[in-house]
Amino acid sequence: MPPSHHHDDPLTKRVLERISDEHVRPRWEFVVKNYFFWGLGALAVLLGALAVSAILFEVTNVDWRLASATHGSLAALILAAAPYLWIVALIVFVVVGYRNVRLTSRGYRYRLSTIALGAVLTSLTLGSALHMGGFSRAIEESIGDHPAFYRPILATEQSWWNAPEKGLIGGVVTAVAPDIASFTVRGFDGATWQVDGDDLLLRDRTTVARGGMVRIVGVPLVSTSTSGTFFHACFVFPFAPMMGWRHMMPPPPLATLASTSGHESPAERSAECRGIQPYHDLRQVETDDAAASNEN
Amino acid sequence: MQSDATDQEIVRRTLHDKESFALLIERYEAKLLRYLERLGVGVREDREDILQNAFVKAYKNLNSFDPELEFSSWMYRITHNEAMSFFRAKRARPQVILSEDGELLLTELRDESSDTAAIAEHRLDSEELARAFAELEPKYRTALVLRFFEDRSYNEMSDILQVPVGTVSTLLYRAKRELKKVLPEHHRANHF
Repeated sequence: MPPSHHHDDPLTKRVLERISDEHVRPRWEFVVKNYFFWGLGALAVLLGALAVSAILFEVTNVDWRLASATHGSLAALILAAAPYLWIVALIVFVVVGYRNVRLTSRGYRYRLSTIALGAVLTSLTLGSALHMGGFSRAIEESIGDHPAFYRPILATEQSWWNAPEKGLIGGVVTAVAPDIASFTVRGFDGATWQVDGDDLLLRDRTTVARGGMVRIVGVPLVSTSTSGTFFHACFVFPFAPMMGWRHMMPPPPLATLASTSGHESPAERSAECRGIQPYHDLRQVETDDAAASNEN
Repeated sequence: MQSDATDQEIVRRTLHDKESFALLIERYEAKLLRYLERLGVGVREDREDILQNAFVKAYKNLNSFDPELEFSSWMYRITHNEAMSFFRAKRARPQVILSEDGELLLTELRDESSDTAAIAEHRLDSEELARAFAELEPKYRTALVLRFFEDRSYNEMSDILQVPVGTVSTLLYRAKRELKKVLPEHHRANHF
């Protein structure tokens, strides 16, 4: 209703006339509105926690040590593997959370930095708990599958190991010769690879014997047969996704390493392997892994 | 109509008896009209219309009043929001009239100046100050009016403007800086 224009009347009288037909809005409306905005704020923080757990899953599942093999450099890998979608989602949820808390009855008293920091810390704590509890993969993959432009990190990482022309293949070890000098891998794209393991050191052979998913750096061979495509392996690394604080357990061993197998692993790799581009970086990874194993 | 009851008590009473609201109107009418004048609502009829709307809104939303706040802060907030809507709707240049000499504000500005001797010899008249106020952005003008003419604390300003207390400090700091910029040249030279 527009203001009464009987300016000769006292303001009190004019206001009382105007409110004579008005009703005070019920208290529950304001209470519900206040809880609604708090609820939306809390929901945004919870969604932020999901984003954090997905970020943690992605960050812990990229093998940064193999950057030079897969992407040429660590910087290139960071650009390729940074969890952009989840970082944007986290920022959006923090902003949404801030705006909703700001709309609560006393929300204006909090600074943007206070609310943002609170929301980020809460999201980080809850997100870390979800990750440590082993829920982050399900979150990353189930939520991440929906947008057409998004591919979950494990699928992305598998695609990096689907590049034989770059000397990278990956997949599941399906069969192993008794002396582990050769083995069969079903690639992530479904192709079958006959892998020559002559150049593999004991550490690589142990990985092959354990079975499960592996990543292989080597040299593709031109000859093919009906039983698959050939690949000369130089390095073999396990591909065991991190689930929370531990790696996913590989299946039971496919083969047992026997010192009496008659086919000893070489002390050093052949010139063919030493010629691959990130050879020294990969050797360093091996050395670091060996040191870590000895410490454990 | 006079009452010794607190604002909160009258608010509670008004929820059952509309007439009690008159006590609150009488208690705040003069203060808020003066506040609107200081904000730059130059025409008395406009000030009364804005205040009328503000009181009606306050009545309708009486259940949203947080008893932990000062009723006066809440009422200033509603009035302030109505005034800002008025300025937006009218797109009118504020006509600031400061009937006081703004001594509190000048003292504050003097305290920040190194040349106190020069300041002591000069007084800024209210017309010049009003002209300078009219040049300010509304948010700065509001901050200065609330602090130095309405004598509101930082916490009350936070509740009125619905911003954190830290933002009130920043607003005041910037408002004073802007005011110094728009004050007549000779006063800046002599005072600050």
